Amino acid sequence: MLLEVKNLNAGYGFLQILRDVSIHIDVGEYVCIVGPNGAGKSTTMKTIAGLITPTSGQILFKGEPIHGIGGHQVTRKGIAFVSEEMNLFTNMSVQENLLMGAYILEDKGLIKRRLDYIYDLFPRLSERKNQLAGTMSGGERKMLAIGRGLMSNPSLLMVDEPSFGLAPQLTASVFESLDTLVKKGLTVLLVEQNVTKTLSVTHRGYVLENGRIGLAGKSSDLACDPHVRKVFLGV
Amino acid sequence: MSDRFIRWCTSAAGITILLSILLAVYATLDRGPYILVNTAITGGMLALVAIGLALLLGVMNVASFVHGEYFMMGTLVAYYVFTPLQNYLNANPSQTLAMVAPIIAILAAAATGAGAGALTEIMVFAPMRRRSRENWVMNSFLLTVGLAVLLINGHLLIFGADFKGIVRYWSGAPVTIMDVFISRDRLFAFLISILVILVFWIFMRTTRIGRAIRAVSQDETGALMVGINLSGILIFTMALGCALAAVAGASLLFLYPSYPTVGLEALYMAWFIVILVGLGNIIGALIGGFMVALLKVVTVEYIGSGWDFVVPTALIILVLIFKPSGIFGSGVRGVLDK
Repeated sequence: MLLEVKNLNAGYGFLQILRDVSIHIDVGEYVCIVGPNGAGKSTTMKTIAGLITPTSGQILFKGEPIHGIGGHQVTRKGIAFVSEEMNLFTNMSVQENLLMGAYILEDKGLIKRRLDYIYDLFPRLSERKNQLAGTMSGGERKMLAIGRGLMSNPSLLMVDEPSFGLAPQLTASVFESLDTLVKKGLTVLLVEQNVTKTLSVTHRGYVLENGRIGLAGKSSDLACDPHVRKVFLGV
Repeated sequence: MSDRFIRWCTSAAGITILLSILLAVYATLDRGPYILVNTAITGGMLALVAIGLALLLGVMNVASFVHGEYFMMGTLVAYYVFTPLQNYLNANPSQTLAMVAPIIAILAAAATGAGAGALTEIMVFAPMRRRSRENWVMNSFLLTVGLAVLLINGHLLIFGADFKGIVRYWSGAPVTIMDVFISRDRLFAFLISILVILVFWIFMRTTRIGRAIRAVSQDETGALMVGINLSGILIFTMALGCALAAVAGASLLFLYPSYPTVGLEALYMAWFIVILVGLGNIIGALIGGFMVALLKVVTVEYIGSGWDFVVPTALIILVLIFKPSGIFGSGVRGVLDK
C-alpha cells in the first residue's frame, strides 16, 4: 500500500469540508477522484499534500504517518502535488522552475537525469527553456507544473484538474502524457471534472459527494453505475 | 537592439535614470566632483537599508516601519564594540588592530542585526502568521510600528538619550580622488556598501537558499510544494534584511552617533526609495538608493540643507499620483526581477 487515508476530516477554519474520507492507492495504480463542484476533491489533495492540517484522521504514506508534518516535508517523503492554479514561479524561466522542482534532491547527476527525462517527455518545454513561466500559454504552463512536480522524483504524483482552462486538444495531450507516466510505472492520483474522460483512462475511482466518499470501485464499473450516469453524465 | 534602447529610454525607468545621470553630470560640472563623491557614499548606504526593506516587502509581505531600529541597533553595537577596542589601542598602539577594529565592530553589528531580525520573525511574525493570514499587510504594519516604539524607548531606558558617537574609525590622512579630499571613513563606508551589495547579489543568484528566497517571493504555496522549508526561509530573510540595515548603521557611526531615534532618518529615506522604485523590487532599490542620494545632495547644494527631506517627499507624492506602482514597478514582482 503506497498511500492510505483513514477517516480524514478537514476543512477551512470552522467550515468542515471532508467527512470521514478513506482512500487507498497501491503502487503503480492510476486512481481518480471525481465529484461535483465543492465536493471536496481539491481539499482532499491539499490535505494529503500537507497544505491543510486535518482535524482528525490519518494519512499514511509507505506506512508512515505524514499528516501534520508540513507541506515541505510531504514533498521530501516522495509526494508531488500539481495544484489547479499550478503555483509556478512566474518570474523564473522554465529551466529555473524545473530546477526549483528538484530543490530536495542533492545528487547533481540525478537532477540532470530528471531534467533530461522531463525535456524528453515534454519537448515543448525544452524549446522554451529560457522563457519566463508567466509568459507561457495555459497548456504549456500545465506541462511545466507537471514537469516541476516530476523533477523531485516522486513515488506518487497528485494532479488537480489538469484540464481546467485548457482547450480540448491540449487537454488530450495532457492526458496522454499522464498515460505515458503511468505506463512507465508512476503512481498517479487524479482529480478531474471531466468525468467521462477520466473514468475511461484511470484504473480505479472514488466518487466524492458533499465531503463523503459515495462510491468506489473500478473506473469501468463506475462509468456504468446508474447513479454516476444520472448525476454526472446526465443520462 | 537600438529599437529596444529607444523604448527603454522612453519608459518611466529610462527617463528617470537618464534624467538622474544628466542632473549628476550638470551638478558635477557646475559645482565640482564632490557632488558625485557624496552621492556615491550616501547612496551606497541608503541602498543597503532600502534593499533590506524591499526584501521584507517582496518575500514576507511586511511593510516594515521597524527597519530603522535595526539601523539603530547597528550603531549601538558598533559603538559598544569599537569604543573599548579604541581605548585598548590608545594604551597599546598596534597597526593591525587599528585596521581590523572597525571591521570587528561592523561584523558584530551585522551579527546582532541578523539575530534581532531572526528573533523578530520567530517571536512576532510567526505567531501572528499561525493565528491568521487575514488582513496580513495592515496587521503586520501596525505590529512593526509598535515594535519600533518599543525598541526606541528600550534604547532610551537602557542606554539613555545622549549621543554615543566616535570621532573616526580609520585614522590617517584623507585620500584624494578627483581633487576631492575624502576621509578614510567615508571611503571605507562606500567600499563596504559596494562589497556587501555584491556579496548579497551573488548569494541571491547562485546559492540554493538565495533561489529559495526568490521562489518564496514569487509563490509561497509553490515553494512549499517543491519542498522549501517556508518558516526557515522567512526567518533567514528577516535576518538578512535586518543585518543589511545594521551594517549600514555601523558603517555610518562616525556620521550618525547612536541615539534612540537615529534610525528614523534611515527608515524614511529607505521608504522614499522603495515607494519611488516600486515595492519589493531589489534591483530598483539599488538604483533608487543612488538616485535619492543624488537628489538629497543636489538639494542641499542648490536649495539649502533642511530641504533634503522636502524634495524627495514631493517627488514621492508625484510618483504616487502618476505611477503608483513605482518607476520600475509593474504590478507585484518577485525580489530579484527587473
